[in-house]
Amino acid sequence: MERSFKKEVQELRLGDGDTFHGEGILAVTKALLQSGVSYVGGYQGAPVSHLLDVLVDAQDIMTELGVHLETCSNEASAAAMLGASINYPLRGAVTWKSIVGTNVAADALSNLSSPGVIGGAMIILGEDYGEGASVIQERSYAYALKSSMWLLDPRPDLPSIVRTVEKGFELSEASHAPVMLELRIRACHATGEFAAKNNRKGVVSGLNRIQGPPRFNYGRLAHPPVIFTQEKLKVEERLPAARAFIREHKLNELIAGDLDDVGIVVMGGLTNSVLRALERMGLADIYGSSRMPLLVLNVVYPLVPEEIREFCAGKAAVLVVEEGFPDYIEQAINVELRRADIQTRVLGKGSLPQTGEYTSDVLLEGLAAFLQAVHPKNIDADTVAENTRGLIAHKAKAAAALGPLPPRPPTFCTGCPERPVFSAIKLMQRELGPTHISADIGCHAFATFAPFSLGNSILGYGMSLASAAAVGPNMDRRSIAIMGDGGFWHNGLITGVASNLFNKGDGVLIVMQNGYASATGQQYIPSSVTSRDGAVPGMDIEQTLRAMGVKWLRTVRTYSVSVMVKTLKDAMRTAERGLKVIIADGECQLARQRRVRAEDAVKLERGERVIRTRYGVDEEICTGDHSCIRLSGCPSLTVKPSTDPLRTDPVATVIESCVGCGLCGEVAQAAVLCPSFYRAEIIRNATWRDRALFRFRQKVIGWLGGYSGEAAA
Amino acid sequence: MNSPRPITLLIAALGGEGGGVLTGWIVSAAEQAGFPVQSTSIPGVAQRTGATTYYIEILPVLTRELGGKRPVLALTPGVGDIDIAVASELLEAGRTVASGFVTPGRTFFIGSLSRFYAMDEKIAMGDGRFDQDRLIAIVKDNARDSLLIDMEQLAKQSGSIVSAVMLGTIAGCGKLPVTPEQLEAAIRADGKSVDSNLRGFRAGLEAARAKVQPAKPVEKKRHAPTTPELLEHEVSYSMPALAQATAIEGVRRLIAYQSVAYARRYLDRLRPITEADAAAGAHGKLLKEVARHLAVRMSYEDVVRVAQAKIAPQRLRRIAREELRVKDEPFSVHDFLKPGIEELCQLLPSFLARPILRVSERRGWLGRVYFGMEINSTSISGYLRFLMLAKLRRLRPYGHRYAQEQRQIESWLGLIVEAARCSVELGLEVAECARLIKGYGDTYARGLSNYRTIEARLTQPALAGHIAMERAADALASARTAALVDPEGESLAKCLSEIDGQASFRIAAE
Repeated sequence: MERSFKKEVQELRLGDGDTFHGEGILAVTKALLQSGVSYVGGYQGAPVSHLLDVLVDAQDIMTELGVHLETCSNEASAAAMLGASINYPLRGAVTWKSIVGTNVAADALSNLSSPGVIGGAMIILGEDYGEGASVIQERSYAYALKSSMWLLDPRPDLPSIVRTVEKGFELSEASHAPVMLELRIRACHATGEFAAKNNRKGVVSGLNRIQGPPRFNYGRLAHPPVIFTQEKLKVEERLPAARAFIREHKLNELIAGDLDDVGIVVMGGLTNSVLRALERMGLADIYGSSRMPLLVLNVVYPLVPEEIREFCAGKAAVLVVEEGFPDYIEQAINVELRRADIQTRVLGKGSLPQTGEYTSDVLLEGLAAFLQAVHPKNIDADTVAENTRGLIAHKAKAAAALGPLPPRPPTFCTGCPERPVFSAIKLMQRELGPTHISADIGCHAFATFAPFSLGNSILGYGMSLASAAAVGPNMDRRSIAIMGDGGFWHNGLITGVASNLFNKGDGVLIVMQNGYASATGQQYIPSSVTSRDGAVPGMDIEQTLRAMGVKWLRTVRTYSVSVMVKTLKDAMRTAERGLKVIIADGECQLARQRRVRAEDAVKLERGERVIRTRYGVDEEICTGDHSCIRLSGCPSLTVKPSTDPLRTDPVATVIESCVGCGLCGEVAQAAVLCPSFYRAEIIRNATWRDRALFRFRQKVIGWLGGYSGEAAA
Repeated sequence: MNSPRPITLLIAALGGEGGGVLTGWIVSAAEQAGFPVQSTSIPGVAQRTGATTYYIEILPVLTRELGGKRPVLALTPGVGDIDIAVASELLEAGRTVASGFVTPGRTFFIGSLSRFYAMDEKIAMGDGRFDQDRLIAIVKDNARDSLLIDMEQLAKQSGSIVSAVMLGTIAGCGKLPVTPEQLEAAIRADGKSVDSNLRGFRAGLEAARAKVQPAKPVEKKRHAPTTPELLEHEVSYSMPALAQATAIEGVRRLIAYQSVAYARRYLDRLRPITEADAAAGAHGKLLKEVARHLAVRMSYEDVVRVAQAKIAPQRLRRIAREELRVKDEPFSVHDFLKPGIEELCQLLPSFLARPILRVSERRGWLGRVYFGMEINSTSISGYLRFLMLAKLRRLRPYGHRYAQEQRQIESWLGLIVEAARCSVELGLEVAECARLIKGYGDTYARGLSNYRTIEARLTQPALAGHIAMERAADALASARTAALVDPEGESLAKCLSEIDGQASFRIAAE
């Protein structure tokens, strides 16, 4: 894995009286252990990639507590795992990235929430919304509404997150419904401290197993005829039970203030941002006391009607701070006040923007607008609003001063084995013309950015081949689908390959076989050469495809650009119908470098022969056209000022971070660019043969007038 | 409501630079010192060399003095609310300022002067680099106080990583409630690469305190060896001072490239330009540019020049010393060549080259048949192959390419002289079009065809008076810029059609 938490997970052993220091995701893990879970699982994806990594690194501790860990093949399998809590008093938690993971899990979630649970079942959602997000911007809230699962959105500080996890299990059990807990990316990685408690073993766990299943009970199945009863149960029993629990245990917080003719209803996760905004406006202090009353919703679904009524009654207006569209909470509050015939004005979207993340300046602007819209008593609203706008006035000025800056999106790492495939596609298209490329989720989606700008659609993780199903038959040339090995096992194998073969489809599929789920931090997948416990998973993509009946199948080493171009051209032009699969084989370079560097260090230490390779550009020969960069896009291949007194354009150069993958040279060869690239090798711990040959050669070349190798140092 | 303000710190970095480690050091130092602290980050795919940020808040009141109260610390940075902003790279420094986080009333800005070029800057066919001076100016205009220093260089000199240097500069700015000693302790407690991190930290600390720039090895321009004084002397009395250095450089280059006679021809070719320059009152400005481009064009890239460069002793010494850091280890350098039929015909006389090229074209070999080879330039046979090619220099003037190049050069020079009669600007623009012709193979062919397109569509019509003189220079400049935007030539085509549109509109209006 990209990041190791081996050191940090030791904090998970803390008990009563200790203070835990660390990141949000570790605090969540600690809270799970303090809650006595019997099983955990999930599928990686930012913001919760690291949560799964933490669980994996904490396996020893979990084994001691009898907790079963499953690194699931996708979110659907993770969600289905929660089925263990339907029949048994097992507490369990699974995690994934939302909205996309929740979409994948949706079927299992509906079937889970209908019969309900007897053991606490929790889903930790990494809410990938706003800054740094990599997926479509939608809310998980809709799932809570439609499936009657409760949605927790704790204040983003560690004690609050930990308490909400613990209380969430109780809530789940008290109301027999699964709960979801959403954490935004910054909350996942917020550091802080909280008072630890002892870990608890589950009532039933790997250490204390159940003896056989319960008596047959049709009510536990999501199947007619009981589904009709279950629908009633959700609304008539579980929902009231949940509301009663939330109210009784004060999961939502009330912050009283003297400006009591107004108030703010805020999603728990945005509380710190709102309090900071109020503090900057002079309406709160740094310790969270506020002149403006606040209702903090650590549970955003269901709302508790009594709480809403009590908070709003007697107020002229309230502001609902609810991020994302649609404004479910604002609508629900309006309905609730209407039912209770309370005349408080409800402002929300309008004062605040309909869409987008509620960053610090957005909130300041929104609060200023709210104050001016309602003019609360005991405060000069216009002055406060004006001062507030003054705080952020600098933003527009600063943005205008510099104009647009070159963007810096993420890109393939130095030496990435996926980049050469896109160089090859570019070269193939030069000859055969452009074709439809259905892209997918994974590092390879970076090819949609410059310098490749390749990809016509992205339909979800592992969906590329399926999304080309109706394109190919309507286009005069074959389409290409790109899929990572992560996406292949997540979904693409069935959704894409099986469906294509079943329908006798045509088209080209490129599977990037780099051995890990790389974009999320190099987690193991079924075709990895090893696994978290060191055993070989033994699932092979090529064998799988052959067994499914793929006839046209080539495995190509990705760095061989010329071979890849030729293979692509064959796949595009062959008269043979049917799916053509190219497995682009090359290990994730980040993972490889971590391994190779360590191995080389050991070899050097032992005095064994090690060759270090790097590439370079002769600046006397480079003319500054940068074709090579447009075809490679390597972070280590960049430009520098020309030292030629007669040239002004910058020349290409290879910087120190080069790992010697050789792509730049391959591309220069395959595309016939220019002779500036060279490969330089140095032999450490050379043998006497290496040395003798080197000395002989240099001596002769020296006689001939060339560089004798003397005075190298 | 009065209460203490947290100290806020925003770090802008590139994924993979160790911003997370840096944040960890600061947080652990603040914790050890007893202050409430919180950091956040946004890990995710942005970490793959994309721009990312880290945010830290420290309440400068000891936890034990808070009487059980807990501060509410924010997770997102606020415009106008940042005490210290740090950027590990100059463009990211500019981005931090542009997003409004650096304010004159509050922010101490620490930024690195080093550049890690963004993709859009690198893929331009000419020079796509963002103006560095503007970035520096915008930082100084917006920060309350700023420290701009080449942190990459400091990291290199101290054998450390940039995040350690950044920590040192943060410590040195004196705005944090923790001491440099406490930050050092955090590095030690972390336990990873302690020595090198401490070296980087101290280098940053000292540089910040003394506000001194690290000595950077100045990228010296490579000058050609000196040559017969006679030619250089001629330059010094026959040309305006402004153009002399360039012309002398040209003379030297061409002697090394071909011969003294060839350099003589260079000076002869510059004579009409000198006159045109004087007649137009350009004070050597036109001459200087033409002298520069002419020297580059006359030393066009061919297989002989490549071979010369590949076995130049200074080249191999540079690779051994600077790139491989060879002490006494054996090393090797491998070069890749892939000449096609055109390259092979370059040195043949025209009467042989033409029929071969004709046949090749008919058979579709051009652009398809190549002879790829990898040559170990540090082996005897590899060296000899290049040496042999380099020795073909004497044959160059009899070759097909030579004749072609000289013809094109003469025509270009003729256009410049004609254009300079109209205006200095137009002359300069025509001269500058030489910039389009560069490179090898496809690149060369594309450049040449763009040059010819511009000549036919703009230069010739302008000289014939079909394009209004006051617009001609502008049109040429924009067409040239457009030609360097994309290799597919879409921008150039669009630009030319816009210029045509304006011209016809104008004629209609007149």
